[in-house]
Amino acid sequence: MATVTAMPARSRKQVVGRSRRTLAAAVALILFAIVLPFIPPFTGQDYQRYLVGAAYTAALAVAFDFTAGYIDIVNFGFAAFVGIGAYTSALLAVDLGLPPGLGLIAGAGAAGLVGLATGMLTLRLRGIYAAVMAWFVGLALMGLVRNLTDITRGSMGLNVPRLLGTDDNLPYYYVMLALLLVTIAVLTYVIRSNVGLAFRAIGQNLQAARASGINPTRFLVLNFTLSCAFAGLMGGFYAHYYTILTPDLMSTTRTIEVLAVAYIGGRGSLWGPAIIAFPLYIGTELLRTQLASLPGLHLVLYGLLLIVVMVYWPGGVAGVVRKTALWWERRSEKAADATTSSAS
Amino acid sequence: MTTATNLRTVPLARRFLTFTWGVVALVVLVLAIALIFQPSIFVDTLVTGGMWALMAGGLALVFGVMNIPNFAHGEMFMIGGLVSWVIYQPIRDAFLNDPKNMFLQVVGPIPGILVAAVVGFLVGVLLETVLFRALRKRSRDQWVMNTFLLTAGVSVMLVNGDRMVFGNDYRGVPRYWDVHSLQILGVPVAVDRIAVFVIAMISIGVFSYFLQRTRTGRAMRAVSQDETGAQMAGISLNRIFMLTMGLSCGLAALAGAALLSIFPNSPDVGVQPLYLAWYVVILAGLGNVQGAIAGAFIVSLLQTLAVTYLGLGWVDVAPTAVIILILLFKPSGLFGSEVKGVWEQ
Repeated sequence: MATVTAMPARSRKQVVGRSRRTLAAAVALILFAIVLPFIPPFTGQDYQRYLVGAAYTAALAVAFDFTAGYIDIVNFGFAAFVGIGAYTSALLAVDLGLPPGLGLIAGAGAAGLVGLATGMLTLRLRGIYAAVMAWFVGLALMGLVRNLTDITRGSMGLNVPRLLGTDDNLPYYYVMLALLLVTIAVLTYVIRSNVGLAFRAIGQNLQAARASGINPTRFLVLNFTLSCAFAGLMGGFYAHYYTILTPDLMSTTRTIEVLAVAYIGGRGSLWGPAIIAFPLYIGTELLRTQLASLPGLHLVLYGLLLIVVMVYWPGGVAGVVRKTALWWERRSEKAADATTSSAS
Repeated sequence: MTTATNLRTVPLARRFLTFTWGVVALVVLVLAIALIFQPSIFVDTLVTGGMWALMAGGLALVFGVMNIPNFAHGEMFMIGGLVSWVIYQPIRDAFLNDPKNMFLQVVGPIPGILVAAVVGFLVGVLLETVLFRALRKRSRDQWVMNTFLLTAGVSVMLVNGDRMVFGNDYRGVPRYWDVHSLQILGVPVAVDRIAVFVIAMISIGVFSYFLQRTRTGRAMRAVSQDETGAQMAGISLNRIFMLTMGLSCGLAALAGAALLSIFPNSPDVGVQPLYLAWYVVILAGLGNVQGAIAGAFIVSLLQTLAVTYLGLGWVDVAPTAVIILILLFKPSGLFGSEVKGVWEQ
């Protein structure tokens, strides 16, 4: 994981060709996601609801991967930050009548602030300690929401106005898809900048990063805050889409579901989790509704997949795709070499 | 890491003026005040503390020896309760026809509890042989984090597997021993809770004896101190790992079985014990078994205080807040941890 393999020098043509291929694949995928609700099984309201859920899960998994995959901190309290965003946005709408659109941004801000505080508290620790501390903070936040029943109504559930004036799922899908694309775009931009380079350096080898003049804590906190802010943004969407909020949204199980998607998709890629979330979420939702006599089967599969990925397939889907692409490139290079050598 | 050498050079007075001793003294003080003014807090702390010690001791052991932060520890608790329930039900039905048979009344719950511990042991051995050994063979990079996530997957699978097979209902027994509660320090304590405390104390005693005095226990501690060194001394790592995982899971299952009347079995019954065991282990310092046993009583005191003065809803929030505060001052836990590789990974 931590080793940096020496890449053979590639010609400018090759690099441009590769980034062009990536761009083409991204555009194709985005177009596919846009037309998806018009392809037969997805035209129905049920399926469109799954699509919204899938895009929501994808966005969460991307935000989760931003910390887990790059600075190597597993935020076990992730769902709590989603909940902070959701409750902030919902309460602003319910108590102050703020429009949900603004509420989403306020939710992101609130989750980011709590994330900043949590990050400053926990990120002095490493590895498992940081993960467990974030978990504890998440549990405490969930307990707080559950107990402040005067404000949040606790387990009785909070009724929230819808984001758009309609009950049709299609517009929600496009809003969520836009949020997902914004998330991926912003986080990818950060990862590709110098800041992202620092993140990766820290994730791979903290001591070496420190030795080359990076202040790890500052970057760790920055990363954590950003991830939490996006979690809060999605939380706001969740609140105004599903219109009922319970503290259950903040439970560890929810974190593990996101975590499973992120790891099955492939850590440290951002796009892997985003893509795999769709088949995974829709498949498990179908299983859950079709096989109602076997409650929990879909989560058993989640758990099983997570185990298989952790033991046998550590790169996840993104890892497999990367390996295949590399193999393909090598093969075509060899073919090119063969043609040039035979020509000379 | 250097506490052992420091202790000899630091003057006696300074030695006990540390943060850890301050917290321990405070806990003892609160317990003493409780003993005089509010004996129910004292009794509750001891009774629940015993069980959390069983859970946390096993968790600490597995981390110390195998470097596995077990997220599925609560599910062992769940399995224990389930097994005990399955076995105890027919036994109880059998002697409901014959309530006069005092011997059966007293002995009845014991087979269920014992079998639960054995099943927990076997599940632990299975986990080690099927999962952890496979992962260890593939790679030990980022072992701690990877096993944490791996066990998170195991936890999700077990919880929902249970839900799939046995449904979402509560499966509990009103009480194991259907007799009047006893008065201890003027506080009525159900016989079940006393039995739980006795079971916890016996198990902790046996467990400590095993770790400190037997050859295998010493081998276990040797592995936890230095894996390669232990291997060179002729200790079979695979055997020790299997035994450690089994023992830890067995203890958790035992706790689950013994607490069946207080924690009625359901798929996610293990969640709260898991949190508590983790509070304890992090508070005491990861991998420190004796510290975990002491820490269990501290957490149990915090919990009892929260329930008594704040209400049932705060039972998790208040201890978490206090633990986070303590960890700000002592990030490696109250009793420190000298486990290899925790900080590097």
